[in-house]
Amino acid sequence: MNIKKFFLIVILFALQSANAQMVSRETYLKEFEKRAAFVTSIYDTAQSVGYYQAAVRYARGKDLATADKMLIELLRDPRGDMFWMIPAIGTYLHGKDNMSPEARAAMRNAWKTYAPYRGDTENHWCMYHASLFLAAEQWPNLPGSEWYNGKSSEENLRDAKEYLIHWMNISTTIGQGEFDSPDYFPEYAMPMILLSQYAKDPEMRTRGTMMTDYIFADFAVEHLDGQYIGGFSRIYQPAVYKPLLSGASAFAYLYFGTGEPTNSGWTVLPALSNYRLPEIIYSIALDRSKTYIHQERKRVRNVIRFGTEKNPPVYKYSYITKDYGIGSLQGGILQPIQQHTWGVRYTYGRPYTTIFGLHPYWSGTEVGMFFPEEVKTLIADVVASKGTYNNPDKWTGGSPFERTFQHKNTLIVLYDIAPGTTTEHIDGFFPRNLEERIVEPSGWIACKAGDVYIGWYPLQEYEWKEESDVSINTLNDIGRPQLERVKETGNWRLRSHKPQNGYVIEVRSKDEIGSFAQFQAALNAHTPAATLQPGSVSVQYTTLGGDKMDFAFPEKRTLNGNAIDLSKTKLFEGPFINAEVGSEKMTMTYKNKKLVLDFKAVKIIE
Amino acid sequence: MIDQYETFGHHRNVARSLLILISLLAVVVIIPATLLSQESTVYVSVLSTKLFVVGAANPETGVFYKKTTDDTVWQHTGPKNIRDFGIAVHTPSRGQLICIAAGNGLHKTTDGGKTWKMTTGWQITEVSSVVIDKDDPHLIFCTTPYGVFKTLDGGATWVECNNGIKQLFTSSILMDHSNSSTLYCSTEDGVYRSEDRGNSWKRTGLTVGGVRVVVQHPKDSNTLFAGTDNNGIYVTHNGGKYWEKCAAGLDHSTFYAIVFDPNNPQILYAGGYVTGVYKSTDGGQSWKRINDGLTNLNIHSLAVDPTNSNRVYAGTLWSGVFRSLDGGASWHSAGLTGSQVWTITVQPF
Repeated sequence: MNIKKFFLIVILFALQSANAQMVSRETYLKEFEKRAAFVTSIYDTAQSVGYYQAAVRYARGKDLATADKMLIELLRDPRGDMFWMIPAIGTYLHGKDNMSPEARAAMRNAWKTYAPYRGDTENHWCMYHASLFLAAEQWPNLPGSEWYNGKSSEENLRDAKEYLIHWMNISTTIGQGEFDSPDYFPEYAMPMILLSQYAKDPEMRTRGTMMTDYIFADFAVEHLDGQYIGGFSRIYQPAVYKPLLSGASAFAYLYFGTGEPTNSGWTVLPALSNYRLPEIIYSIALDRSKTYIHQERKRVRNVIRFGTEKNPPVYKYSYITKDYGIGSLQGGILQPIQQHTWGVRYTYGRPYTTIFGLHPYWSGTEVGMFFPEEVKTLIADVVASKGTYNNPDKWTGGSPFERTFQHKNTLIVLYDIAPGTTTEHIDGFFPRNLEERIVEPSGWIACKAGDVYIGWYPLQEYEWKEESDVSINTLNDIGRPQLERVKETGNWRLRSHKPQNGYVIEVRSKDEIGSFAQFQAALNAHTPAATLQPGSVSVQYTTLGGDKMDFAFPEKRTLNGNAIDLSKTKLFEGPFINAEVGSEKMTMTYKNKKLVLDFKAVKIIE
Repeated sequence: MIDQYETFGHHRNVARSLLILISLLAVVVIIPATLLSQESTVYVSVLSTKLFVVGAANPETGVFYKKTTDDTVWQHTGPKNIRDFGIAVHTPSRGQLICIAAGNGLHKTTDGGKTWKMTTGWQITEVSSVVIDKDDPHLIFCTTPYGVFKTLDGGATWVECNNGIKQLFTSSILMDHSNSSTLYCSTEDGVYRSEDRGNSWKRTGLTVGGVRVVVQHPKDSNTLFAGTDNNGIYVTHNGGKYWEKCAAGLDHSTFYAIVFDPNNPQILYAGGYVTGVYKSTDGGQSWKRINDGLTNLNIHSLAVDPTNSNRVYAGTLWSGVFRSLDGGASWHSAGLTGSQVWTITVQPF
């Protein structure tokens, strides 16, 4: 790192610290501009050929000959489907006024000759249709012979608009399908930000802005120190144990001023755009002066077989303080492959700022629920891009044999694993930088991460395993380089081989309970009672806060004698963001401010 | 005495006899030989290759075709890289009308592949199979994970037609060759039959899960075979009312492809997950594996050349196409190595 870059990062860190405090709109906007300049700073001089390198040059009116040369070269053989469409149309929209006629012609020709795959999931479809909509607006009145799919500009425009409105409707009535994904946040933010700035259709421009606000608000309310908090639909390794590596954290840096400075490519087009986050959203993201509970309802992405409901509900519960957040989904298969059912994340000890657990499950049935290819060979198909899917040591994924019950900062997780399942063990991730990881005589594992204390009570015997490195050059079963590192040296894995299993998690901060010793003493005074037989797995537990939780696998949850009915969960419910199921309306409140996104009326009401 | 004329006549008679003999030989040998060498076209849909990842710089996939007499060169037609599951070639138009069932939707050409149009919108996605009415090329059905769709106007408009189907995930659709109002589709809870062009469906007597394919006897429209995931092969001889499980000789349970020899319906081929190719020569009563030379036993598609029953094609998962010139007795790689060949069809032109 050169000295100039070092000082720039130091200054940006200082700015971030300032950002943690509430700032005026004017100050926020000035700081945003500085961060946007940092995000794009390496792209306008980089000589490597890429869309973002060209886009930044065009947008800055700098070194246009190089930008043209790059773009023409890139468009000679476009690849990447919707991951090409977004940077391609983004580069065009940000740069067309500075583009040479040859570069513009090359771009037009690419949309005629290159047929991108539309994809098979929500983020693919969102990027595909938003890009196609914007492209069709840019080149109107062209016949089908001028487009890769044989449809006219008007047909493409109509089809893309229909999909986008459908996606917005379903997301604002029963929830997003690929919800709260730290790694797929950019795939929604980028197309919506482009629509917000460049859609010529006023309705779609407004909708683009509203949906950008919507997904940022969804993130903001579960944001802590640059991290997404809670259960997630999709997350990759290593972001699952190094949270700031996710794409969402790059957006947190740019828009909230949190996390760590990054030149992530995901944020280049947004950094060039004129979209600015409403004050209320970054206020919600940054103000952690009060602890709060936030609940959400999302939906499972399209279940195409082996199920009775196309989009079953997902219930999400998060407890967020200034020092940590603990959040969970109800458990079960809610997303294929990369689900993160629960986790604790905190502000201490980057990069390993998390503790979580899972049953590392995989099956043809799971992926067959969501993908149309043959069940028998789907696992091999999936492993081609998600290298850890069938790895018994993986750190992501949901399981049909896992359920949770969370109340405030206490979480119970139970497992009743059927014999013959691909793995019959459960794992817990304990980062290497914990200050303490003490096994108490009571059975509690008491952990200290700065001013955050985490207690983990295993219901069955277990073993510790120290993680060791696996070469990043490892090839998977079909000879493709592993895209993800499976393990990292020094972190600790709690593994228990009992199929009827579970644990209780308690999290407290110094502010909440006092010293670590006091936390240990509190844990030792509260031990759960469990029944762990096949078909009969349950726990009775009185929390450190004195609440009585009874949980019987899979769905019987009782709090202080009252049955919990998850089906009553609203789309959003908490102190900052609220929305009723089916409403198409999100209401944000922060102190004396209010912002309503009314998708029925297509209006933003302040 | 035999005069010259007579001699000539005699010679003429000999010549006539020879001519008749030659003609007979021609009928018996030469014409079939001509038939045997008649050119046809084999079309395959390549779903993906080993290295396929959405958004990556993937190898070319989609529809490939070549003349059956050409051993090596596959030509590509249609969009590349859109996840082609199925293909339907309209025989009466001699391949001018082709439909592709793909991840992006239903794509169609009416000029033999010079130009293509995606006929469906965002609602119809991951199309798994397609069938065109041979007599009315505007009537097209396709299957998707979200059920069956049809168009009456060649793709200008599509309607969902799932009335009666409980599990919408449909893998394939078959139009009765003797009555285009009758259709069969394979679903996750059995085989369904429609007698009104898809307006309504009733489940047939086959109610097992994971039905992947249904094929019809070339002459007896009431005889059908169904291949399933995990449940083997079933046959019906009464249009689906009752089905029997085929057992003799079948040691596997997952079958993605079944095909009749169009020239001899007593002969069938079947293949699926790690099965290699099975052959029956008694109308499906008994089966025998014929895998000599087949280096990949995951078979997803099969086709018999109607101009030469000995020429059989097998599409594999990840090893491209294999071809046999001796009715399956031996197999040789026929290219597209590394591909998942989801569908094969051979057309007599």
